[in-house]
Amino acid sequence: MFYRLSGVHHANYVSDSRIFKVPADRNLAVFIFLIGLAAPFIIPSLYLNSYMLPWLIWTAAALGLNLVTGWAGQLHLGYAAVMAVGAYSAIHAARFGVPWEFALIIGGLTSSVIGSLFAFAALRVKGLYLALTTLAMQFVMDWVLTHSPAISGGSHASLQSPTLAFLGQDITSDTGFYYVAFGWCVLVTIFMLNLKRTGLGRALVAVREKDFAAAILGVNSFYYKILAFATSSFIAGVSGALLVATFFFLAAPEQFSVTVSIQVLAMVIVGGLGSVIGSYFGVALILLVPGLVNGLVVTVSEGLGMQINVETLAHIPNAVYGALIVIILLIEPLGLGKLYGNIRDYLMVWPFDQFKK
Amino acid sequence: MKELTKALAVFSMVGGAMFGTQALAEPFKIGVCYDLSKAYTFATPQVAQAAQDLAKLVNMKGGIGGEPVEVIVRDHGNEPQRGIECYSKLSREGVFVFDTLSTPVSLAVLPRAREDGRILMQSLVGRGDAVDGTVFDWVYPIGPTYWGQAANDVAYIKQLHDGDLSDVKVGFVYFDYPFGQEPIEILETLSEKEGFELELYPVPLPGSDQAGVWSKVRRDKPDHVIVWMLGGAHVVASKEMQRNRIPMEKYISVNWLNEVDIANIGTDAAKGIKRGTNVVGGQDVALFKEIMTELYDNGQGSGPIEKTQDVFYNTGLAMYSIMFEAARNAVELEGLPITPTSYKAGLESLKGYDANGLMAPITVTAEDHGGGGQTRIEMWDGEAWVPQTEWISEYGDVVWDVVKESSAKYEQ
Repeated sequence: MFYRLSGVHHANYVSDSRIFKVPADRNLAVFIFLIGLAAPFIIPSLYLNSYMLPWLIWTAAALGLNLVTGWAGQLHLGYAAVMAVGAYSAIHAARFGVPWEFALIIGGLTSSVIGSLFAFAALRVKGLYLALTTLAMQFVMDWVLTHSPAISGGSHASLQSPTLAFLGQDITSDTGFYYVAFGWCVLVTIFMLNLKRTGLGRALVAVREKDFAAAILGVNSFYYKILAFATSSFIAGVSGALLVATFFFLAAPEQFSVTVSIQVLAMVIVGGLGSVIGSYFGVALILLVPGLVNGLVVTVSEGLGMQINVETLAHIPNAVYGALIVIILLIEPLGLGKLYGNIRDYLMVWPFDQFKK
Repeated sequence: MKELTKALAVFSMVGGAMFGTQALAEPFKIGVCYDLSKAYTFATPQVAQAAQDLAKLVNMKGGIGGEPVEVIVRDHGNEPQRGIECYSKLSREGVFVFDTLSTPVSLAVLPRAREDGRILMQSLVGRGDAVDGTVFDWVYPIGPTYWGQAANDVAYIKQLHDGDLSDVKVGFVYFDYPFGQEPIEILETLSEKEGFELELYPVPLPGSDQAGVWSKVRRDKPDHVIVWMLGGAHVVASKEMQRNRIPMEKYISVNWLNEVDIANIGTDAAKGIKRGTNVVGGQDVALFKEIMTELYDNGQGSGPIEKTQDVFYNTGLAMYSIMFEAARNAVELEGLPITPTSYKAGLESLKGYDANGLMAPITVTAEDHGGGGQTRIEMWDGEAWVPQTEWISEYGDVVWDVVKESSAKYEQ
């Protein structure tokens, strides 16, 4: 009724390899894209600037991690370190006078190179061992950042980012920053949506499921693991650079610390491994919900005239937020993306859901 | 007709009520975006409580220029992203004075505050070079920088050795990340200048294992140990010192050492431990006593009374006394309403202000946003903190060389 079809049935390969197999999905995507385009005109600047913008950039970053963890199945606990590499190299390049377009690419490529080093660990070890190896990489990166003023920028290790500019046009307004973030997020999303229906995507999935089985099928797991790490690191690097250029305006090691790595991984897991829409939901939950719940709790307690100690007030949202994550993963271990998928599948054939889906 | 007059009367009453609320002055607000749930919780609850208590006291005395004051406390969990969110939200509600009490958040908010022309107070946190008012126009790290504090510690050691440091050995035990690394440059410069020997002892985070560090200290036998660590790390350090039979008197801590740490070390075991500070510790302070009689004795305190028996509570009182005094100055200089520019002028007209004996006197100028950076050394005698020096601010030229060098880098 809502999707105006009774299940998905493919009659030929072309229809099977479409990005959107259901027209309603495509229409929804176009609708959301249009809302995204119009956002600066319909969303108050506070929400645009402190919620939408970081949400989009982190989504792009989370999609990159999803590529290596969700698609290729390689657990990665040093993702923030890779973002840091991109951020610092792009900013140093921009400070050196390289135009931002190239600075971003330099950031992405440097990240790719360093990130691929992680892949060499991935070739030797798997699962939890890989998680620990990547975690070690994160600590190495933290150490390098806090011990080399030349990279991190001297006093209290903070490096100011030069004004962002594209095609000779300085970008300084909230709207401008938003469109940069939006553009990058759309680009990464389109890439990830297409990944599913390419040989590369299928090879990555094969490696994830069983790498030696993939090898028997003629998929070179060595090559694809490195490719997955390099690609996701490129996305991480550019996202990290954009995060600093459009949101923080200066880079500091704390912005890319181990807690951030764990947060990005949480975004991907809560959102759903291998799910594009799930990454959007996961980022929203991990990044935005603490602040929103905090505001909500404050408003409610003020509205009820309760005199709550500030410290207690700060801890209630954390408890709510933690409970929320546990509840979501209990209801649907495959994450928010799957939760959305369940609702969609239900509505797909509603009200005739006794028929085959 | 009667009905009409009745309606008019009601209307005018409603109108009057509305007018009345409008005439009620808009409060002077301070945005207190603090980390109340993660890394800085060893100090933020006490400081936030002090801010709220002080605001209550100011309001009981008729506010500032007849207007009430308000401190809006929000949690940012030490996440730069949420700090920016707190800043953006409150600044759209008309708040233009902010304090974050968190180095990562302060760093993240700083470029925005400078761009938007909002006052960023960052006593004891954030970039040290922000005391350079010629570069960091909207940022006020009132109080000592870590550089100034370390220099004052050396000045104190020099006093102990009758002005001759040539055969003195000073150890520096520090958290091996930017907070702890910051004073190294100053200490190295001073070691060259004064001729004392400097030994560096980095402690890996979170400082729960310091066995190697202190046995090395025992071997090297420094005459004094300057310590740049926080919270529980002090307790670990004191245990290791006892094990290595290093007398407590050698320990000179950064200002982040409070009564909770003393209690954890043991009030007797901690005898002789020293700390640099810019506020008077303990309860024998005029402002503190006033808050006790006016608020806590009447059950009006903003939190548990135990939290007030803490030097960080006094630190909070000092920080917010400065902010309210600056607002008073602003009203005096340019009248109501207080604007960012008039508040800035208010801050820069603080001269020798010590909040009635609560802290080191501060004098803020357009060039020096730190207020002079005076500190003193206090020693724990088993019951209370005993001052060992006057308020001092030494080696100003060396400190400002580092400040200028660093702030010049920011401008690039």
